Amino acid sequence: MAIDVSTLLQILFWGLYAGCIYILLATGVNLIFGVMKTVNFAHGELLMIGAYVTWTLFSLTGLNPYLLLVATVPVLLLFGIAVQRLAFRPVLGSHKLNEIFLSIGLIYLFQNGAAMIWGGDYQSLRSPFESIAFDIGSFRLPLDYVIIIAVTVAILVGLQLLLRRTRLGLALRATSQNRKAAMLSGINVERMDMLAFGLGAALAGAAGTLWAVSGQVFDPYMGSVPAVKAFAIVILGGLGSIPGAIIGGLFYGVAESAATFTLGGAWKDAISFVVLIVVLVIRPTGLFGERGE
Amino acid sequence: MPVAFDRVRPTVVWIALAVALLVPALASGSLYLLTTASIALVFMIYSEAWNFLAASGQGSLGHAAFFGLGAYASALTASRFGLPPALTILFGGLFAAGIGLLIGLTCVRLKEWFLAMVTFGFAIIIQTLMVSQFAGISGGWDGTAAPALVPSSVPFAPYVQYYLVLAVLIVVLLVFRRLLRGRVGLAFAAIRENEVEARASGIDPVRYRLFAFGLSACVAGIAGALEIHQFGYVTPEVFGTDISFWPIIYSISGGLGTLAGPLVGTVAVTVLWEGLRGVGLTYARFVIVGLLLILTVIFLPSGLVSLPRRFQAWRRQVEKGEADVPVSDAEIG
Repeated sequence: MAIDVSTLLQILFWGLYAGCIYILLATGVNLIFGVMKTVNFAHGELLMIGAYVTWTLFSLTGLNPYLLLVATVPVLLLFGIAVQRLAFRPVLGSHKLNEIFLSIGLIYLFQNGAAMIWGGDYQSLRSPFESIAFDIGSFRLPLDYVIIIAVTVAILVGLQLLLRRTRLGLALRATSQNRKAAMLSGINVERMDMLAFGLGAALAGAAGTLWAVSGQVFDPYMGSVPAVKAFAIVILGGLGSIPGAIIGGLFYGVAESAATFTLGGAWKDAISFVVLIVVLVIRPTGLFGERGE
Repeated sequence: MPVAFDRVRPTVVWIALAVALLVPALASGSLYLLTTASIALVFMIYSEAWNFLAASGQGSLGHAAFFGLGAYASALTASRFGLPPALTILFGGLFAAGIGLLIGLTCVRLKEWFLAMVTFGFAIIIQTLMVSQFAGISGGWDGTAAPALVPSSVPFAPYVQYYLVLAVLIVVLLVFRRLLRGRVGLAFAAIRENEVEARASGIDPVRYRLFAFGLSACVAGIAGALEIHQFGYVTPEVFGTDISFWPIIYSISGGLGTLAGPLVGTVAVTVLWEGLRGVGLTYARFVIVGLLLILTVIFLPSGLVSLPRRFQAWRRQVEKGEADVPVSDAEIG
């Protein structure tokens, strides 16, 4: 197969754009893990709920779906806080397997709850900019890709500012570094758990909006595949590391895109598992993982 | 995780066995009831397999991978080479065990998160592969035919089938019981409670975890093969997340880490499930089961089998409480 510049650009941008959605998802998983030391296996379902919330708001208001991020993200933030408070808080610290099993219950609840509310059929949303694209040589760069990449960068910068420049962020980081010491210095660690889970859910919600806006279809059961990819990225970047999630996500997005172009579309989803196994065999703590827990 | 290998009273075991033997008579000619009971037995085998792995401290979120691989391996060898399903079922188990060991090798050394993430991913990915890369062999979404477990020419075939599955379940239970009450069970408990101390006393956690993974995958594969040879066909839906989650739900609701737990859980949840179906609920059934799972993990972490013990403790407390009341009253007076 002849690979020219425009094909390379296409692989690169497609990878960046797909990577953005996974990065948001994986960052949320890592944020939650960092603070609560729990992996939320129902994270893909939060993306699905985010997509549906945006879709509902769009049907009600008819506003530009990108603007609806401003509404979807807070909805998911509150939703995440409620889930943490009602489901995870009661079993936190009892046994790791309990927290894993609890997420399984949540997956059932979210998938089928969504099917009851929104129906079990495929839905999709159309971006108002879908016909606009920039021509770079023979490569067409859709405006949506540019917006999605820009929105993701803005969200990640915002998150970084929150974590690095505010007292709240300091408290979150302290809790994730050493829970007991954080407690002793007067931080309400249980509130930090709720906040971390809420932020994780909000990031997944943003990912859901972008998923829907980019024209990908969604149904109540679509969350598992993006979740598996987010886990692959989390393992690639290192469990609990946010820079790891970003770099892992970019790498993963481009790898997936390259695999789709060279090996065919059937490999698009399978590549995540190959990445997962290869990383686990070669470097189980990931590129940026904390050494041992 | 509270794990206790409770000794169930022999009378209870005999009553359970008698009920299991009498089910075909109780079904009184209803093929639907008999099939439901027969499938419930298959899921008991499957849940026991998952529960055995959990007893070694490993929670798999993708056991459907092994269930499905066993099913496909058995169906394909039986239909391609014309071998009797009774033989190919064993091959299905061995095939699942082989793949299980490979998956296990990559994550037995790691924390429980990794195993959960890898198994969760593996089941979903293998479903994707079955309908794309391997569609030529597997038949894609349409699936492939599987010869009947007991040919319909045999008189009373559905009954023979039921007792065959029951026999496999009893063998599986006896094997797991022997293992869990012996050295292996003690080693599992030691690894679960404190891996460093287990290592200090000469137990190799990696070896025991791998053993648990291989045997669990093997039994799950046999269960998968038993199921599809009853249905007559197998589709990639055997790799679905709900097939992965059923053994978790059955084991947790019954009692994690106990031999009786998955049996009790399968019966209780199947009755509830069929009851909700009778009421005409579809999505709501899953919502209710999901909620019940969450509530069980929070409020009844040792499952239904712990209820009698809880009840006894509660009664003792009430008796003591009643005895205490006059005393404290007297003190106040």
